[in-house]
Amino acid sequence: MSGSARRSPLAQIAITSVILCGILIIIGLLTNTFGDRVLVRVVTVLFINVVLTVALQIFMGNSGLSSFGHIAFMAIGAYSSLWFTLTPEEKNRTLPDMPETWIMHGWHTDFLPAILLAGGVAAVVGGLLGVALVRLRGASFTIATFAFLIVVHTVALNWDPMTRGSRTVFGIPDLTTLWIALGAALIVVVAGLLFRESPVGLRLRAARDDEDAAASIGIHIAWVRWVAWISSVFIAGAAGALWAHFITTFSPAAFYISETFVVVAMLIIGGSGSVSGAVLGAVLVSLSSEWLRRLEGWLNQHRSDGTIIGQLIPIELRGFAEIVIAIAMIIILIKRPAGLTGGREVGWDSFGPRRTVPPGMPIANVPASAQE
Amino acid sequence: MALLDVEDLHVRYGAIVALRGMSLTVNQGEIVGLIGVNGAGKSTTMKAIMQVVRPERGTITYEGQSLIGMTPENVVRRGIAPVMEGRRIFPALTIEENLRLGAAIRNDRDGIKADMDKWCQFFPILGERLAKPAGTLSGGQQQMLAVARGLMSRPKLVLMDEPSLGLSPKLVGEVFGLIAELRGLGVTILLIEQNVRMTLNIVDRAYLVNTGRVEFVGTPDEIRQHADLEQAYLGGGRAAASVRTASGG
Amino acid sequence: MDSLIQYLISSFSLGGLYALMTLGLVVVYGILRLINFAYGELVMVAGYGLLLFGNTDLAWPLVALFSIIAAIVAAVIMERVAFRPVRFGSANTMLITSFAVSTLLQNVTLLAISPRPQAVRLPSFFVESITAGNLRLRIVDLASIVVSVLALVVLTVLVRRTTIGIALRAAADDFTMTRLLGVRANLLISVAFAISGLLAGIVAIFWVGRSSLVEPAVGLQPVLIAFIAAVVGGMENLKGAVLGGYLLGFLWVGLQTWLPQAMLDYRNAVLFGIVIVILLIRPEGLIRPVYSRERR
Repeated sequence: MSGSARRSPLAQIAITSVILCGILIIIGLLTNTFGDRVLVRVVTVLFINVVLTVALQIFMGNSGLSSFGHIAFMAIGAYSSLWFTLTPEEKNRTLPDMPETWIMHGWHTDFLPAILLAGGVAAVVGGLLGVALVRLRGASFTIATFAFLIVVHTVALNWDPMTRGSRTVFGIPDLTTLWIALGAALIVVVAGLLFRESPVGLRLRAARDDEDAAASIGIHIAWVRWVAWISSVFIAGAAGALWAHFITTFSPAAFYISETFVVVAMLIIGGSGSVSGAVLGAVLVSLSSEWLRRLEGWLNQHRSDGTIIGQLIPIELRGFAEIVIAIAMIIILIKRPAGLTGGREVGWDSFGPRRTVPPGMPIANVPASAQE
Repeated sequence: MALLDVEDLHVRYGAIVALRGMSLTVNQGEIVGLIGVNGAGKSTTMKAIMQVVRPERGTITYEGQSLIGMTPENVVRRGIAPVMEGRRIFPALTIEENLRLGAAIRNDRDGIKADMDKWCQFFPILGERLAKPAGTLSGGQQQMLAVARGLMSRPKLVLMDEPSLGLSPKLVGEVFGLIAELRGLGVTILLIEQNVRMTLNIVDRAYLVNTGRVEFVGTPDEIRQHADLEQAYLGGGRAAASVRTASGG
Repeated sequence: MDSLIQYLISSFSLGGLYALMTLGLVVVYGILRLINFAYGELVMVAGYGLLLFGNTDLAWPLVALFSIIAAIVAAVIMERVAFRPVRFGSANTMLITSFAVSTLLQNVTLLAISPRPQAVRLPSFFVESITAGNLRLRIVDLASIVVSVLALVVLTVLVRRTTIGIALRAAADDFTMTRLLGVRANLLISVAFAISGLLAGIVAIFWVGRSSLVEPAVGLQPVLIAFIAAVVGGMENLKGAVLGGYLLGFLWVGLQTWLPQAMLDYRNAVLFGIVIVILLIRPEGLIRPVYSRERR
């Protein structure tokens, strides 16, 4: 909309917030009014996915580094929220191996402080790791975060007193309602938008676009990366707490490579450059995977019925949703690497400079990494 | 017919305009100089010819065919060899391996062997250290290797980007001597240089380049006649702008 | 003494497989700066090749050969279909693409074959042992030592003596310059992927041979180990990859032999903790090339 005066960043954030939050609220209200129990559950997960994807966006979108470790922080948040919310009697059932003499065993608190504490634990672990991580670049960074995912997974599998090892923990109070999940999603969306335009967010994006130039104008890259990282893993930890108190029973297998893939896919499909992209990706992927899972179940049911539709299906269907998401993601990476939103926020009156490859840029058939 | 003909070339790096209407011609058997200060667009011209950067508009014609849109390797396969700025030898590879890669587009085993022997005689130091990693060579020796490697493909046209950069005065003399000798071997050369005096001593014609386009073209004598021109290209880019009227295009 | 020999043989056997695996990862990384998360799926492809071809009347050497070829073909197709279109994107885009390819192949296998581990028909020598004095040596261990050394020798000849091999090493240092000598980028990258597939295929035969089972996640553990070994050895360094692989083999068998059972379960955590530490202190790996410089 050239010609019109540019709105201030705060006004831009306000507009985007209203649109994104409005959409989420409408989804919540519609679900509450018309949805059955199953749909309420689906949409609750969707909201938790929004929280998680925006958490990832805050770091990946602004820093340009890929983390494959966020699910580890979700796991840390999920397990620590158990330690914080369960009463000693509940702990005896859910985590029977935890010695009663431990302080952790006797202490517990309410859900809300537990969510924040769970995020806090993730932030402390992530903060320590982050001090070192922020010095890494590109693929080394991603491998290190992936290594951390495996470390956390292994610890969760074996730390019987705190996690019940590879066995499922159950009996977690069902505290995450549709509204709590929605509320968390709204807060995180606004926080993500504010972060993006905050001094740290702006510096981080400057460093993403040109590290040397950013350093030369005095941006402390390690520091802004660290701030984004710790904020991001805090939210991931909180998302873990929300999820734990929604699903009420889980094992370390719930926090591993395929879960990492799904959240990365949400962000990439929507567009990692913007909070709008994270929200769009989380909504699209959550709904379509639910729909695909239902389709898969329906087809499999007909297969066992031996009806006409069933006879067309030669094999029992599994992992349909993952296959479709993976293909969709590859196509998007090829055709539209900045995601469906192209890295733009919805409702902005200026889309900023176009991010097409300008002439004079190194030619396409040279690998980016091998260019001068 | 010109061997290489560049016409009205425009290249941009994002917001930065590197070439704005660069035109030049290289004829068979010539040594042509491309002279200008840092940032004048010399190296970009070379990269555009090699198709390492994509021109916004303009034409690049070589032996009557357009090079635009080709892959760099296909440009090389048509007989153009680049000796890039900063030498770009492979330091971990041996000198022999560097030379062998120079002949990557050839299949005549015996011919490759013969050429390798030829250049090792031309540059005895390379011959002596054939099995040593190229990274062990001094800067000047690496430059020799870069030139020899470029010639291993038996190119019709060699593009050389600042072969004298970073060399001691004695070595600069040697490199220019080498280029002059290459003419005797029938190689056509487009020589990119900042060193005006030395360049004018060996080229047939030279283009004076500033801010992405040609300011003046002529034989060394014609350029020397314009004392102000030579001064401008020796003295730096600032003065060059005032030259435009003097040179008359 | 006997236990030392036993240890050495186990370590060389496992280390050889890790070395091949790591080399397969690094040969691609060197050129494209792509850490191929879908590399484990090449092991999976060869593993299922053993299963599918093994159910036919083919002689076992042919079964093995076809399985390796399947991995090579899969690697080349993977590059052509998924990586070539994103080659000009950011390094991040390639990395994430490989993650998507990995998930896709896993789930397609899950769907088309089975999520459950399946027994692979193997020739009897895979499970036999020979006894020498007090030593019981598994033939499969000895075979994997021989095969991995042989493969390393062949590869060394390839990257030292052939033009394409020299070009592979050159491209790892300066890809653009390599192209500016007329080396075809697409060919070079295809060759790198083919080598990667070949190595994954060889590894798969012995890896599957250790358990006689194949499942969709069969490639996960070896690829994780290869990540570590590559980081240890320096991602761009072929020699480092081999050393890193053997080192990991010795470390792994050592931990297996001498760690108390309770600690053993944390093996992965310890190893990946080491990776993080190494990345932090020496991001370019423990084994540095002598002539390195800033990448162009």
